[in-house]
Amino acid sequence: MTQNLPMLAAALALAFSASALAQSGTLKIVSSLPRTGSANAQTGTIVNGIRMAIAEVGGKIDGYEIAYEDWDDASPQRGNWDPTVEAQNANKAVTDPAIVGYIGTFNSGAAKIAMPELNKAGLVMISPANTYSGLTKPGMGEANEPAIYRPSGSINYFRVVPTDDLQGPVAAEHVAGSGAKKVFILHDRELYGKGIADVFQKRAKELGLEVAGFEGIDTKASNYKSLCQKVKFSKADAVFFGGTTQSNGGQVAKDLRSVGFTGMLVVPDGCREEAFIQAAGASNLEGNTFVTFGGLPPEQLTGRGAEFCAGYRTMFGTEPEAYAVYGYEAARVLLDAIKRAPTKDRAAILKAVAETKDFDGALGIWSFDSNGDTTNRVFSISSVKDGKFVFERRAGDAPAEGTKAK
Amino acid sequence: MEWVDFFLQQLITGLSNGMIIALIAIGYTMVYGIIELINFAHGDLFMLGAFLALTLLGMLGLGDWSGASAWAAVVIMLIASAGFCGALNWGIDRLAYKPLRSASKLSLLVSAIGASFILVNLGLFWGGLPMDVFAGGVAAAAPKDFPALVPNTNLLGEESLVQFTPKDVLVWVVTVPLMIGLTWIVTRTRLGKAMRATAQNPVAARLMGIDTDRVIGATFLIGGALGGFASVIYSLYNNTISFQMGYRAGMDAFTAAVLGGIGSMPGAVAGALVIGLVRSMSDAYLETRWTNTIVFGILVLILIFRPSGLLGSRVKEKV
Amino acid sequence: MRLLPTPILAYFAIMAALPLFMGTSGLFYDAFQAIFVFSLVGLGLNVVTGFTGLLNLGMAAFMAIGAYTFAILTSDIYPFQIGFWWGIVATVVIGAVAGFLLGAPTLGLSGDYLAIVTMGFGEITLDVLKNLDAVTKGTQGINPLPRPTFGSWTLELQQERGWYWLLLGFVLLAVLAVRRLERSRSGRAWLSIREDALASQCMGIPPKRTKMIAFSTGSALAALGGALFAALLSSTGEPASYDFQVSILALCIVIVGGMGSVAGTLVGAVVMVGMNSLVLVKLADWAGAAGVGGASNVLASPNNWKYLIFGLALILVVRLKPDGLLPPRLEGGSG
Repeated sequence: MTQNLPMLAAALALAFSASALAQSGTLKIVSSLPRTGSANAQTGTIVNGIRMAIAEVGGKIDGYEIAYEDWDDASPQRGNWDPTVEAQNANKAVTDPAIVGYIGTFNSGAAKIAMPELNKAGLVMISPANTYSGLTKPGMGEANEPAIYRPSGSINYFRVVPTDDLQGPVAAEHVAGSGAKKVFILHDRELYGKGIADVFQKRAKELGLEVAGFEGIDTKASNYKSLCQKVKFSKADAVFFGGTTQSNGGQVAKDLRSVGFTGMLVVPDGCREEAFIQAAGASNLEGNTFVTFGGLPPEQLTGRGAEFCAGYRTMFGTEPEAYAVYGYEAARVLLDAIKRAPTKDRAAILKAVAETKDFDGALGIWSFDSNGDTTNRVFSISSVKDGKFVFERRAGDAPAEGTKAK
Repeated sequence: MEWVDFFLQQLITGLSNGMIIALIAIGYTMVYGIIELINFAHGDLFMLGAFLALTLLGMLGLGDWSGASAWAAVVIMLIASAGFCGALNWGIDRLAYKPLRSASKLSLLVSAIGASFILVNLGLFWGGLPMDVFAGGVAAAAPKDFPALVPNTNLLGEESLVQFTPKDVLVWVVTVPLMIGLTWIVTRTRLGKAMRATAQNPVAARLMGIDTDRVIGATFLIGGALGGFASVIYSLYNNTISFQMGYRAGMDAFTAAVLGGIGSMPGAVAGALVIGLVRSMSDAYLETRWTNTIVFGILVLILIFRPSGLLGSRVKEKV
Repeated sequence: MRLLPTPILAYFAIMAALPLFMGTSGLFYDAFQAIFVFSLVGLGLNVVTGFTGLLNLGMAAFMAIGAYTFAILTSDIYPFQIGFWWGIVATVVIGAVAGFLLGAPTLGLSGDYLAIVTMGFGEITLDVLKNLDAVTKGTQGINPLPRPTFGSWTLELQQERGWYWLLLGFVLLAVLAVRRLERSRSGRAWLSIREDALASQCMGIPPKRTKMIAFSTGSALAALGGALFAALLSSTGEPASYDFQVSILALCIVIVGGMGSVAGTLVGAVVMVGMNSLVLVKLADWAGAAGVGGASNVLASPNNWKYLIFGLALILVVRLKPDGLLPPRLEGGSG
């Protein structure tokens, strides 16, 4: 052995190169989420969820070390997700053979950039947050969607969140069911917020609600007093805001109340986080604000979900937020597939993820359908009382065939 | 007559918003007048002022604020934020701008951009402080609720559709005396005279025995302090602060300063009121999503017909 | 004064050779492709601000116009589909026209008044792109976009080296064009307007026309950069990809590099964009590998320090090199 120094050196060098890591038993999972700037609050909870899922399997599966890297797809100049950085991340993931799973993205716009690249490389991608329907569902977005994201012809993109085309109607039905007659619709002009406001409007009209206005806001404005006065003077008795805490949902809620609007405010899951209550001020949301959410809120979860909440509290010392569950679920479904995959390579793991059926997850028992979407169609509606989200009721369809609700 | 009420309401909202912009705009215009620097960091300085105010509130305790104690807290915040922003602005000038006095205007601009990035980052860290007012520091980047110390009751009576609240009163009660005081400083005091002399010709001013570095320092101090006052008023009026709020506030104020004629203080106020009103009217009568386009469209039109702004004097450009 | 002085020749020689030592993929390529795109935008701004002395804070708007023009003319969701090369040609032309249209009414404005008009134009462009979603697809971005073809051969997105050299080729073309212009009658007029507008007017140089040519040239180059930026992503991204921060980045490139210096702009792009897409990324990676981060404390995550480092670097560079890293007199030629 000692005479063989060059060989030894070569072996050492190999052990430190990425390709060698895969052979020597390390599988790498990465997440690509905006970590610089305003979305940091939500992505932090997602990353916590991922870390927790990995910690639960002891960081090891079948003798393989599970390594995790938390990548940023935002840049300081943008303060938000940056298409260039997302493209870089996708490239970086494709070229590192140790990487077997890509958790991301947070923004649907970013997914559009990463999806075709990862698809060509056959690397599985699981999003904990993208809800834009066109990413997976034919006929929902542009004519060439989702085919353009699947240049290889097969599916590599999955998501654990129900899409906008399901959530928008749930919100509209809630407004109509409350006896409101006239609704004013606001949105943040983003892919997510505008998308969900569009389907909300469509469903609201079908339900016979009068739409008093449909307006995109300027998300960087210092206040919306004039706009909210317009809402008040329109005599609408409900407002739907399609947007997130980051797109200034808190200020919209606050100004609606400050100009004396007393009707109902409904917001989607992009606002279902403590930060929204923090931003809006608890008293402004008290009683007449409702939040729709895909799946049941953490405290309503039973079985695996309840265990998740308890574990999260012990590990991080805070209550899990809505997005934490999605991060945890995305990581767990990936880890589960890695465990089931006969060989630990990208193709086998991708196949195992696609075959996920009746998965006993924190959000219930669900499967991936042929588009890569979750079959979980349970929605919940919460209100805000004493500065906390309070579960009101279940909503939405029953789960699609092949699954049973818990 | 409901439409009259609606219009009056927009006037009130627009003017109050405009007065807040005006206070920030004066900070831009003063610094520009004296060293011809578009101080990109000014909006972010303003943001830090708001964070200081919220921190103070957290330290004073967040009980039931009402009556005298609330007004006392407002006064404490105003003084503290003004002092803090003034001192910080003075310090930034010392560290980032003063060494570049003889360099080109644009190097100075880049230095200001750098300072702006640093201040934004400090705001992010600040939002992560483990205090109740910052949600215990879990969500550093999230917007923060600023407690409603000033009540939102309608002074015109609860039945009136038009709302005129103590918040609107506060805006005017603080900003108008500040502007009068400032005008007095600039036109009536020795310091003011030195400032005007330095603005007109720094070399000649130095020859006349004016310590121009001190004068410039004083300008940064006063401009910063106004930003500090503005940050507290803004926070009490809008009730939300975030580490990114300096961008829009800065852009509005800078636009106001240019619209009014950059370097001119009455111009900055006029420009700010125009922007506040245009924003309100556009939000109310047109569509919010086109408001920015309308504001900048009007700016371009005004500048085409009045190339030195509303109240600017036609001075030959110094290059 | 040669068309390509030694520093510029050295730059292209080194850049052309670099990929030979860098493998065929990886962060290096991502970073340098972005560097070349921003070199084009920087070269454009250098004509406007560096040569002619007009402060333009709206370069991102011209990038956006370029990207969206290219996308609408080439993407298969629109009827035009004129292909990569004609798309690039059309983009450059439309970029120049857009510059002309903005410049015509506003170039009479002095200094910082022009700056704010260009900044406002940037904001208006973003809003229009966002609001006219029937045409621009709003915040979704337009995708996919065609790849460049050479005869029957197509350059695929994964062929990182190919893209690298293609973009470097565009930068070389732009440098040649700018250097030619700089030495032409127009170029000498730009510099004289910058140095003394009144005197040059007395010498019979028409200020408005001179400024217009500079402005259109700069806009055309920025539009080219925008089109290539989109082609590289195969998507326009969302309108916010072309916001004020991008204009600021372009300005930093020109000033940090050295106002009025072509070689300086090239170096400025390497430093500024490289810091953003190489140094900061690597720092975060190393810190992550060293086990920093993950805690709920905001200070612990290296990503949260990026603004601060970027800002400090800007201040230090202009403090140590107030005239830029490579001012015109060191470039060996112009000035």
